[in-house]
Amino acid sequence: MRGAVAITGAGAVTSRDVALAVLPEAVRARATRAERVTQLVLLAAGRALAAAGLEATDDAPRARLGVVLGTAFGCFLTNAAYQRRLLEGGPAAASPRLFAATVSNAAGGELAIAYRLGGPSVTLTAGGASGIVALGHAADLVRSGRADALVAGGADALDDDLRRWLAAGGLDPGRAPAEGAAVLVLERAELARARGRAVLGTVEGVAAGFEPDAAGARAGEGLAAAVATALGEAGVAPSEIRVLVSAAPPALADLESRALGGVEPRTVVHPKDALGETFGAAGALGVLAALAEAPPGAALLVLDVCASGHVAALVARAGDAA
Amino acid sequence: MFSRAAVITGCGAVSPLGVGVRALWEGLLAGRTAIAPITGFPADDLAPRTAAEVRHVARTDPDRAGAFALAAATEALADAALDPRALDAGRVGVALGTTLGGMQLFERWMAGGEVLPAGIGAIPYYGPAVRLARALGCLGPVATAQLACASGTHAIALAADWVRAGRADVVLAGGTDLLCRFVVSGFNCLRATAEVARPFDAARRGLVLGEGAAIVLVEEAGHAARRGARLCARVLGVGAAGDATHMTAPDREGGGAARALRAALAEAARPPDAVGFVSAHGTGTPYNDAMEAVALTRVFGRRAVPVDSIKGAIGHTLGAAGAFEAILCARVLAEGRIPPTAGLETPDPACDGLDLVVGTARAQAVEVAVSSSSGFAGTNAALVLGRA
Repeated sequence: MRGAVAITGAGAVTSRDVALAVLPEAVRARATRAERVTQLVLLAAGRALAAAGLEATDDAPRARLGVVLGTAFGCFLTNAAYQRRLLEGGPAAASPRLFAATVSNAAGGELAIAYRLGGPSVTLTAGGASGIVALGHAADLVRSGRADALVAGGADALDDDLRRWLAAGGLDPGRAPAEGAAVLVLERAELARARGRAVLGTVEGVAAGFEPDAAGARAGEGLAAAVATALGEAGVAPSEIRVLVSAAPPALADLESRALGGVEPRTVVHPKDALGETFGAAGALGVLAALAEAPPGAALLVLDVCASGHVAALVARAGDAA
Repeated sequence: MFSRAAVITGCGAVSPLGVGVRALWEGLLAGRTAIAPITGFPADDLAPRTAAEVRHVARTDPDRAGAFALAAATEALADAALDPRALDAGRVGVALGTTLGGMQLFERWMAGGEVLPAGIGAIPYYGPAVRLARALGCLGPVATAQLACASGTHAIALAADWVRAGRADVVLAGGTDLLCRFVVSGFNCLRATAEVARPFDAARRGLVLGEGAAIVLVEEAGHAARRGARLCARVLGVGAAGDATHMTAPDREGGGAARALRAALAEAARPPDAVGFVSAHGTGTPYNDAMEAVALTRVFGRRAVPVDSIKGAIGHTLGAAGAFEAILCARVLAEGRIPPTAGLETPDPACDGLDLVVGTARAQAVEVAVSSSSGFAGTNAALVLGRA
């Protein structure tokens, strides 16, 4: 499976201070009615598609364009809202409007409708590693010729219910949880070139792994396997990595460092120190953080590490290396 | 596109027809239905209150979807004659689809109960996959497909991509979902449900929910050959496409479903007339079945290929449905018999373009079988399997 995957657009939202008013009129109406995670996705994706020159809202569905999103909690907020009404009022009080949005691919579906994306429409979850897992699946779809361009990345929203569940021990992310959406436009490199688009970077290799026991004797092996596979796919030696995006919370820092044999980056970036744990958004945010630090052609390694056991590694090059 | 191929070397199922692939297959062949009044949880205020429940698995496990998945995975591994602990753990993965995951625990927590009796990961959708990965000691890729009712189909597609791209040698792939008040009340309030499921029938009034897990072992073809594995089926192609029209209603032109089917056939490098069986999504709702008849007729032509739906027998098992259909396709390919659609008596003239299997099983050798799934948010996925 060959063929370069170019990053031709990016968009990120890490708080809801950004008003929905910036959205095109046709999208704004959908966004206003939608749940929080969908609003975040529409804002980030609108920017990314505009940056890539693919921002159409009134075409027929575009069969070669699609969406791949990663999310740790998906529609958790809507599930809680639906379930609360069911508990309080019984089935007679059940809300069809809420129930229709109790699927984690609601945000991806709204995005596909808003921006006329008729190709693959996929949502994945792999805990806090969902973002890189989604970027990897999107890169596969583009590389294998099943799509020309995909909005890829992820999102998670937070509210009191989810904060309460996290605080009660549902998942200890090891950092302050935060909400956000971040997506890239991944596009066949030759198509990007033919369209005369600037290439921010190229995705060269992506792999996921699992850590069944972070305190066990084999801790770090799942991430090490993912890093080795991603580097192998990219044809990049560990020593070539110039910029590393670290993802592990303090409690998993040892696990992460054990997985990085031979990787000696000049720059290590810790975006989560500033942004908190943004779950599904973290993968694309990590890629953007690395691109900001990397000279053209430099090799980047971006990690996602989650207390759920999910881990992932992405190798990219800055600029148009294809 | 890929230099490697993916094969299925083991199957496991926990279905409303019983525990094990054999109970599922024999029940389907006989045209039996497991749809009955709900007994597993309070349902007196639910209308309709029928479903296809798994009655052969005790309700003692608080993570019912995870328990289904674990039992199905155990059968799939035994069927494949594979001990995952004898493999390089970094080359073993898990790809599951689910729409509800740990919903049973979520219901309990929302009602004031404890968060999680089993530690991390049961409430979120990734809970069942994490449970399987831990049980296996797996170090390879683990992910959960969230394509609503197309999740199980796409989980198998994801697994096939991982092995074809060289990232894993074996992946446990499939889907799991459970019945609970959350989901039954939800489909009821959408007015999508009926007392009985009659896919493609003129008298169909809606879907009936089901539960269970179906897991297949997706293996890299060379890896399977080296260990002398018996093949259940070959994964020839996968496809996914969004309708981009509406969040809950299917595209009346079947646009996304047709695009997903064509993408999967293109990857399989098979023309539509090479397909000998289609396992339709066939939920039994008026809209879905009419849309699907349009999509299937557009892709395959009129009455060109036998079609059935398992949802009259085991209900709509949501995120597990596509994985059950993959096992059905594998059995049809292996045995040359196509089960009838339980609940279907009088085909709807609006579905006239379909060659529906009605009443009794049909004997027919099949070389290529297709499963098509669609879900909320306009998502569609298709799987093309070939005879081993």
